[in-house]
Amino acid sequence: MLRFDGLRLWYTMAVGLSFCGMASISFSSEPTEANSAKWPWTRLTAPDVPQVDGVEHPIDAFVRSLMAKQGLEPAPPADAAARLRRIYFGLVGLPPTPQEMSTFLEDPSELAYRERIDQLLADRSYGERWGRHWLDLVRYADTQGGALDYARPHMWRYRDYVVRAFNQDRPYDRFIREQLAGDAFTKYGAEGKIGLAFLHQWVPVERTEPEMPRRDFLNDVVGVTGSVFLGVTLGCARCHDHKYDPIPTEDYYRFEAFFGSLKVSAQPLPFGQYEKPNDEPDAWEKNQAAWAEALEKRKKWQDETMGAFKQRLRDRHALVATADLKDFVADDGSSRLAAAMDEGLLFSPEEQETYELIKRQTARFANPNHRDYFQPSAYLASDSPLKHNIVTHVLSGGSPKLKGDAVSPGYLTAATDQAEDVDLTGQSGPARKLLAEWIASADHPLTARVMVNRIWQYHFGDGLVETPSDFGINGSGTVHTDLLDWLASQFISNGFSIKDMHRLILTSQTYQQSMVHPRAAEFDVLDADNKYLWVRSPLRIEAEVIRDGVLAVSGALNREMGGPPFFPVVDDELMRRAPTWWTPSSVDQRNRRTVYMLQMRSLQLPFVKAFNGPNIDESCPIREVTTVTPQVFALFNSDFMHRQSRVFAERIIREAGPDPALQIDHAYALAFQRQPSTEELERCLGFLHGHEDGARPESTERLADLCLVLLNSNEFVFLN
Amino acid sequence: MSPAKRHHQTLGAANPVPAAIGRRDALYRFGNGLGALALSSLLRDDGWSSQALGDASVLAPKPSHQAPRAKSCIFLFMAGAPSQMDTFDPKPKLNQLHGQPVTRVYGSLEKRMYVACPFKFAKHGESGIEVSEVFPKLAGCVDDMAVIRSLHTSVEAHTTATFFMNTGMPIPGSPSLGAWVAYGLGSENENLPGFVVLPDARGGVFGGAMNWSNAYLPTDCQGTLLNPVGPPIVDLQPSGVSPRRQRRNLDLLNDLNEQTLDSNPRNRDLVGRMRQYELAFRMQSAVPDALDIRHESEQTRQLYGMDVPISEPMGRKCLMARRLVERGVRFIQIYCSGWDSHENIAKNHRRCGEETDAPMAGLLTDLKQRGLLDETLVVWGGEFGRTADNSMNFFRTSPGRDHNKQAMICWMAGGGAQGGTVVGATDELGIKSVDQTYHMHDLHATILRQMGLDDMELTYYHSGRFKRLTDLGGEIITEAVHA
Repeated sequence: MLRFDGLRLWYTMAVGLSFCGMASISFSSEPTEANSAKWPWTRLTAPDVPQVDGVEHPIDAFVRSLMAKQGLEPAPPADAAARLRRIYFGLVGLPPTPQEMSTFLEDPSELAYRERIDQLLADRSYGERWGRHWLDLVRYADTQGGALDYARPHMWRYRDYVVRAFNQDRPYDRFIREQLAGDAFTKYGAEGKIGLAFLHQWVPVERTEPEMPRRDFLNDVVGVTGSVFLGVTLGCARCHDHKYDPIPTEDYYRFEAFFGSLKVSAQPLPFGQYEKPNDEPDAWEKNQAAWAEALEKRKKWQDETMGAFKQRLRDRHALVATADLKDFVADDGSSRLAAAMDEGLLFSPEEQETYELIKRQTARFANPNHRDYFQPSAYLASDSPLKHNIVTHVLSGGSPKLKGDAVSPGYLTAATDQAEDVDLTGQSGPARKLLAEWIASADHPLTARVMVNRIWQYHFGDGLVETPSDFGINGSGTVHTDLLDWLASQFISNGFSIKDMHRLILTSQTYQQSMVHPRAAEFDVLDADNKYLWVRSPLRIEAEVIRDGVLAVSGALNREMGGPPFFPVVDDELMRRAPTWWTPSSVDQRNRRTVYMLQMRSLQLPFVKAFNGPNIDESCPIREVTTVTPQVFALFNSDFMHRQSRVFAERIIREAGPDPALQIDHAYALAFQRQPSTEELERCLGFLHGHEDGARPESTERLADLCLVLLNSNEFVFLN
Repeated sequence: MSPAKRHHQTLGAANPVPAAIGRRDALYRFGNGLGALALSSLLRDDGWSSQALGDASVLAPKPSHQAPRAKSCIFLFMAGAPSQMDTFDPKPKLNQLHGQPVTRVYGSLEKRMYVACPFKFAKHGESGIEVSEVFPKLAGCVDDMAVIRSLHTSVEAHTTATFFMNTGMPIPGSPSLGAWVAYGLGSENENLPGFVVLPDARGGVFGGAMNWSNAYLPTDCQGTLLNPVGPPIVDLQPSGVSPRRQRRNLDLLNDLNEQTLDSNPRNRDLVGRMRQYELAFRMQSAVPDALDIRHESEQTRQLYGMDVPISEPMGRKCLMARRLVERGVRFIQIYCSGWDSHENIAKNHRRCGEETDAPMAGLLTDLKQRGLLDETLVVWGGEFGRTADNSMNFFRTSPGRDHNKQAMICWMAGGGAQGGTVVGATDELGIKSVDQTYHMHDLHATILRQMGLDDMELTYYHSGRFKRLTDLGGEIITEAVHA
C-alpha cells in the first residue's frame, strides 16, 4: 500500500520544515467562475446604488435588489428592545441597563436609535469590545507559547494600544502602517511604535536546526500579514506556487524580503500620555515598590529553602561519595536535588511539595505584579544593521537547505499586475515601510474590502465573504460583490473611519430586521444559508461577552481600563499541569473585563475555552460557535458562576426589597431588560416558594439559584 | 458566525467546495446536534422537520470507511521516550562496545561513548520474542503483541516530537489522533466523550494540552482530560450543590427556556443547548461512575499492580481505561512520563518498568479474559527512540541514552494486531531502522485503519485545503496487523 512515494521523499527532505503539505491530493471540486476568482484582485470602483422603490439606505438597496431576483422578501424590523440589545452587545459588548432600555422604549425613534449608536461609539467600552476582535486576528497573547510559554510582560501595552486605536477611531490605514512599520513613520511617534508588537506574536518552538527559529518567525509574520490585512493565504505559497490563487512561490519570498532584516525585541519606550501608568503615576510607583518588596521576600525564602535542601543532600553525599562524585555535587546540585526529590527518601512529602512550588515559582515569571510588567519597555522592531546584507532566497519546499534564486522585495504580482521589484533607491529605513504604504494605500484592491467585510462579519455573525481571511478561490466568495465594493469605497472615502462604517451598517434595515420571518419555512428552502440576508441569523455572544455580561448584571464589573493583565483563578489541577504558577489577582481586579485577563497560550481559562475562545496560537478570524458540555460545566457549575449568582441575588435584594415578585421583576430587568411574562413570573415564584428540599424558601440561596438559572438561559447567550 | 450553520471558518453556499466535502464534514456542518429531546414538543410547528434537523451531532456514531478491526483504542504514551535497545530490541554488540568512544554530531560534533544495555533479555511465549527484564510481566503477553522495531520519526526534540506523535506535525495547531478518531467515528456512549485523556499527575508531557487538541476540528472532538485522582473534570459537579438541587435548577432552566423557544425558530441551538445541559447532568454521574474503581475486586487491583505503590498510578489509569472501553469510549490516551533517560538508563528504565509493567500486562490480560482485546487496539510507544551512545558528562557518572529519531520502538496488541510478531529491524547497534522501515505517519494510518477509517478519506477542510492526519499519506504496517 505505497502511496505518494515521491511526495514522501520530498517530505522527508523538507521534514520538519514544511507544515503546509500538498493540498491537491484530496481536492476534487470544480473551480469557481473566473470572474469571482478575479474579483477581489480587481481595482476597487464604487458601483452605483441600485434604485429600489421605497428603500433609502444604500445597503438595503443593494441587498433587496438581489433578494428580489431570488423571490425573497426581507423580514420585518426587529422590535425596539431587540434592536437596542443588538447595538449594545455589538458595539460595547455589554447589556444595556434597565434604565437605558426603558428610556429607549419611551422613544424608539430612528433619531433616538442613531443617537444611541453615537453614544455607544463614544463609550470607552467600545474599544474594549472591538479591540478584542482585532486581538483575535493578531493572535494576541501575554506569553510566547510553546512548551515553556515564557511571559511577554510588555505585551499589554499593545493590547491597550489596540483598545485606544479603536476608541480614537484611528484611521485604519494609519493603524496598518503603525503595526507593520510604526518605527519608520516618525509622525506617529511613540504611540505608533507600540503597534509593532503585531510583528512579535509568533510562537517559538524548540528547534534543533539553528536556522529554523528565524524561518518560523518569518513564516509567521508573512502569513499573518497576508491573512489579516489582505485576506490571502500567503502561507500556501511558501513551499509551492499557490494551488488556487495567483500567488507564485517567488511572490511569497519577495513579500518575505520586506521583513528580511527585521528583528523584534523588548526595548525601552517611555509610557505615553494615554497609557495606564500615567493615569495614576503615584499608585503605580507605590505598587511597584510594594511588589518589588514582596518579590524580594519570596526570593529570599526560596533561596534559603533551596539552600537548606541542597545542604542536606551535600551532607549525605559527603558521607558516601567518591572524590569524583563530590566534585560533581559541589557544583550546584540542582539536578541531583531533582533526582533526590524524585526518589523521595531524603525529603518528606511536604518538602517535596515545597520544592515543586519553588521550582514553578522560579521557573517562570508569568506572575501578577512582577516588576517586568511595569518596565517602560515595548516590543519594537529594528532592522538590524548587521543584517542589512541579508539576501532573501526562494526556498524549495520551504527548506532553508534548498536555496533557490535570490529575490528582492516586491509586491504581490496579482494585485499590481507587475512582477517588478520595489525601487529601494533613496529609501532610508526599513523596506517594511514601503510594504505598509502599499497595503494601507487607498488603491489597494484587497485591504478595504477585507476590513469592511470583517466589520460586517462581527455585526452579522457571518461576513459577506464568509471566509474573512481568505478572499481567494478557496474562500467562500460572495454574491454581494457590489455591496462589498460599495462599502469598501465608502470606507476609503470616509478616511478609513471604522466608526463611520458602524453607523452605516447599523442604520440599515438589513441590520435591524427580525430573526423571525413569517415565510421562513418557504424561504429556507430557497436560501437555507441566508446568503441573501432575508432574515437576521442567530447570534450567540462570545466567551468574553458572556463573562463580562455576568459581571455587569451581577453588578460586580470593574470598569478599570488598561495596564498589565489580571490573573484569574484557575483550578488547582489545571494549574499543576501548566508550565507556570501564579497567585490570582485580587477579586476587584478579577472582576475587570475579560479583555484584560492574562492571555496565556498554554493555559486558556476553561470558561473562555469552552465558549469557543480563540485559538491563540494562530490568527483567529472567526469564533467557532459550538454547543458542548464544557460550557455547561463552566456556566452552570463553576465557582465563578455560583459566586456571581450570589452577588446578583444580593444586588436584587438590595435594590428590589423583600417582595419575591419584585425581585423576579428586577432580575429579569437586569438580565434581559424586560418584564417576565405571567407564566415566567409564576414559574419563578413557584421556584422561590418551593419547599421540596427543606431550603428556606426566602433564603438568598434560593434566589441565587434563580439568578444562576437566568444567567444560563438561552436568552442570556443568544441575541434576538 | 451564526450558530445555525456552525461550520468552521469555511463554507458558504457560494463556495465551490461542498461537492468535495467528505461525509463527515457534511454531517457536522449541515447536521446540528439534536436528538435526545422530544423534538416535536419542543420545536412545535416551526417549519423544521426532524429530518431536516437530523440527529447528527458531531459525536453521533458514524459508519466507518471500512470494516473496523477495533472499536476502541488505548494509546499508552510513554512521555520522554523509551529506549528500544533496553526493552524490545536486544543489541548484544553494544555490550562489547561499552565505553568505546565515538565522535559524531549530536547537536554539535562531540566525543561520545557507547553504552551497553544494563538489562538481560530472554525469549518469551510461543513466539519467542525477546523482552528485557524491564518488563517481566508484560513479557508474558508477547504472543498478543506485534513489536515494531523499525519505526522512525522526523524530529528529536521532546516538544516537537510529542506533537508529531500525536498530531503528525511538529508544531502545535493540528488535531490529535484521538480527535480525528472521535471526529471520524463519533462516540458510542451518549453520556461520555469520544476521546479521553488520562494524564500523568506528575505532568511531564511536553507541549501539554495541545497534544490532545481538536485544533480546527469541531470542539466536541477534543480530548477530555479526566483526572485519575480527585475530581475527574473541572467543575463537573458544582461544589456544595446536591444532585437534587441541581435537578431542580435544571428543571427551572428547561421551563424558562421553553418559554422563549419560539423567539427564534431558525436557531436550532436553542434546543441543542438544552440537550447539552441534560447531557452534562448525565455526565455528572456517568463520568465518576466510569472512573469509580472502588468496587473492583482485590484480585483485579492486584492484576493491575495497584497493590504496589510504585505501579498504583499507572494501574489505576489502565483499569480506568478498561472501564471506559467497556462504556464505548473510542480513544483513550494514557500518559506516563519519566522515560527521558539521558542519565542512568539502568536506574531510569528499571523504575519506569516498575511503574508500568504490571499495569500494562494487567490491562492486556484483563481485556483478553473479558473478551475485549479483539476489539480494543492497545498501542505503546514514546515520541522517539534513543541513542546507542551517550554524551561524556553523563557517561562519566551514570550512562544514559540521548534522543534518536532514526529508530524507535512501539508495540500494538489486540484490535486486529498480529500477535507474536516482530516487524522490521534496526542496525546492529539499534541506531537506525534498516529493514521494513516505517515512519510515524504509517503508524497513524495503521491505527486509523484498525479503527475502520481510511486516512486518505478522513479529511477536514481548513485554511484553504483539505487536511488529514497523515497529510502526505501513510502506509499501512501490514506485517503488524491481520489482513
